[in-house]
Amino acid sequence: MSAAVELKNVGKIFARADLNGTMAALEDVNLSVEPGAFVSLLGASGCGKSTLLRIIAGLETPTFGEAICGGEPIRGTDPRRGLVFQEHTLFAWLTVRGNIKFALKGTKKYKSERSEIDGWLELAGLAEFADSYPHQLSGGMRQRAALVRALAVSPDVLLLDEPLGALDSFTRMTLQDELARLWRERHSTMIMVTHDVDEAIYLSQRIIVMSARPGRVREILNVPMSYPRNRASDDFTELRGKILKSMDFAGDIQQDYAI
Amino acid sequence: MKRAERAMTAWELRRLESAPKSKLRRAARRAAALLPAILAGAMIAEYKLVPAFPKYASNPIAYPISNMYVYFAAAFGAALLAWFAVSLVSRRAHEKLLLKTPLYCVLIILLIAYDLMTLKTGKLKMPYFPWADRILLAIYEDRLMLLDCISHSLVLLFSGYLIGGAAGLVTGVAAGWSRRVSYWVMPLIRLLGPIPSTTWISIILVVASSLFGGSVFMIALGVWYPVTMAALSGVGNAQRGNFEAARTFGLGSARLVFKVAVPAAMPSIFNGLTQGMSVACTALMVAEMLGVESGLGWYINWQRGWAEFARMYAAVIVICLTFTAVNFALTLARRRVLRYQEDWK
Repeated sequence: MSAAVELKNVGKIFARADLNGTMAALEDVNLSVEPGAFVSLLGASGCGKSTLLRIIAGLETPTFGEAICGGEPIRGTDPRRGLVFQEHTLFAWLTVRGNIKFALKGTKKYKSERSEIDGWLELAGLAEFADSYPHQLSGGMRQRAALVRALAVSPDVLLLDEPLGALDSFTRMTLQDELARLWRERHSTMIMVTHDVDEAIYLSQRIIVMSARPGRVREILNVPMSYPRNRASDDFTELRGKILKSMDFAGDIQQDYAI
Repeated sequence: MKRAERAMTAWELRRLESAPKSKLRRAARRAAALLPAILAGAMIAEYKLVPAFPKYASNPIAYPISNMYVYFAAAFGAALLAWFAVSLVSRRAHEKLLLKTPLYCVLIILLIAYDLMTLKTGKLKMPYFPWADRILLAIYEDRLMLLDCISHSLVLLFSGYLIGGAAGLVTGVAAGWSRRVSYWVMPLIRLLGPIPSTTWISIILVVASSLFGGSVFMIALGVWYPVTMAALSGVGNAQRGNFEAARTFGLGSARLVFKVAVPAAMPSIFNGLTQGMSVACTALMVAEMLGVESGLGWYINWQRGWAEFARMYAAVIVICLTFTAVNFALTLARRRVLRYQEDWK
């Protein structure tokens, strides 16, 4: 199951206690995500991408404009919009199995079927660690557990806030493959916030590049490559160059002359 | 986590890794493990063979010398021998025994020295330094009364502790969760908290309708403050991500408090409960010395009236053992509830 997400002229202003004033985190953001799409929000820190994600999740309300999910305006959190953060989402006092059970019980989808939870653990490759506590797992395993817990309640939209940011690059690449696989199997809409250009190109169908202060959409790029993608391919490199240039991190290609 | 992994500390691991390889050294270590048992035998020998100070030996009515000491030493020695026997088959038992050997040896040597200085040579004078046997005899003779006192004390202690702890949990969690509650509770905490609960003694003595009730109140008040502060800060420090994730699973405010805030605050709450136990034990002793009708504090006071130092020391030992047991129970509870944490010792 999946749903469309639409943002119309969304703006967000935060009050700043230190300056006794306000700060515009987002300004005039227009976004339309079709059901079942994989979209990345890419930008440096401070460009409001996390704020945008939180607005879609329902954790923040937009100061201007409206946010719509599945045809209905977004009012508060909902199990149909699952959330995976960088850290600190797993409940430390519950085992992996307990965490998934918590999610299922909360959304009243729990049919006291142990096998259902076992299925999810299998999918995440955590079957052996079902009764382990989060502190006993590595960072990659913890994120896998958080992912599978969010997926267990079958959300229409999965919102990922730099889910692989705290992991080393090898674990990150492995989990990127897993994320892609889960997306292709579940067909839920995926909206991912990342600061890693390669990750955005590897996973998403569309990349929304944002600029900071105030947060605006700078450019929307399509990634017309087929899955699974090759990180070393020419298309990949070309797109990376294009994005970095758009974000002013790469100059024009210079020729070296030897005289 | 397997218990075997948790039981070994880094120190023990290092000892294990530096274990001697030669057969001679291993035999020497085995023999060393036998030393405390041998010394326990020496304890008995010293007691029986070295003659008592003439002043004490000649007056058995005023200065009774019994065999309690022998029984105690024999029991200790027998336990050590049993441990040694087990250590011959179990590697872990051997490592643990070897670890404790120096401690037990010094302990026994100190006991032997104390006996020599009190009973055998009279260098440390009565009535302030009763010999070990006298204290053991005092415990034995008054065992029924001591048991009664223990049960009275524990009833008072746990009544106050549980009431104070529960009240502290409720106020702490509520104040940590709701700003409105915090508005009313914080001034109360700031005012009452720093006042030691024993300050209220005079007022309680006048106002309370029963001494038991008044004492329970005093203990509960003492326990309330650390538990409230701990619960408050525990809830305040809970990770925001936990709450947000729980909200996406459809939990409303009420369930968020019980299912997320409280479990997240548990480590802090247990710190508060441990502190509270310490305050409760202090308040208990004070409350009992004021005029309850039974209990360990009352017993010490009563024996002081008779200048029965041996019985007073006996009561102190009993208090030590009782509170050690109580704290051990608390530790077990903590270990069970917080089993998801790493390496809590």
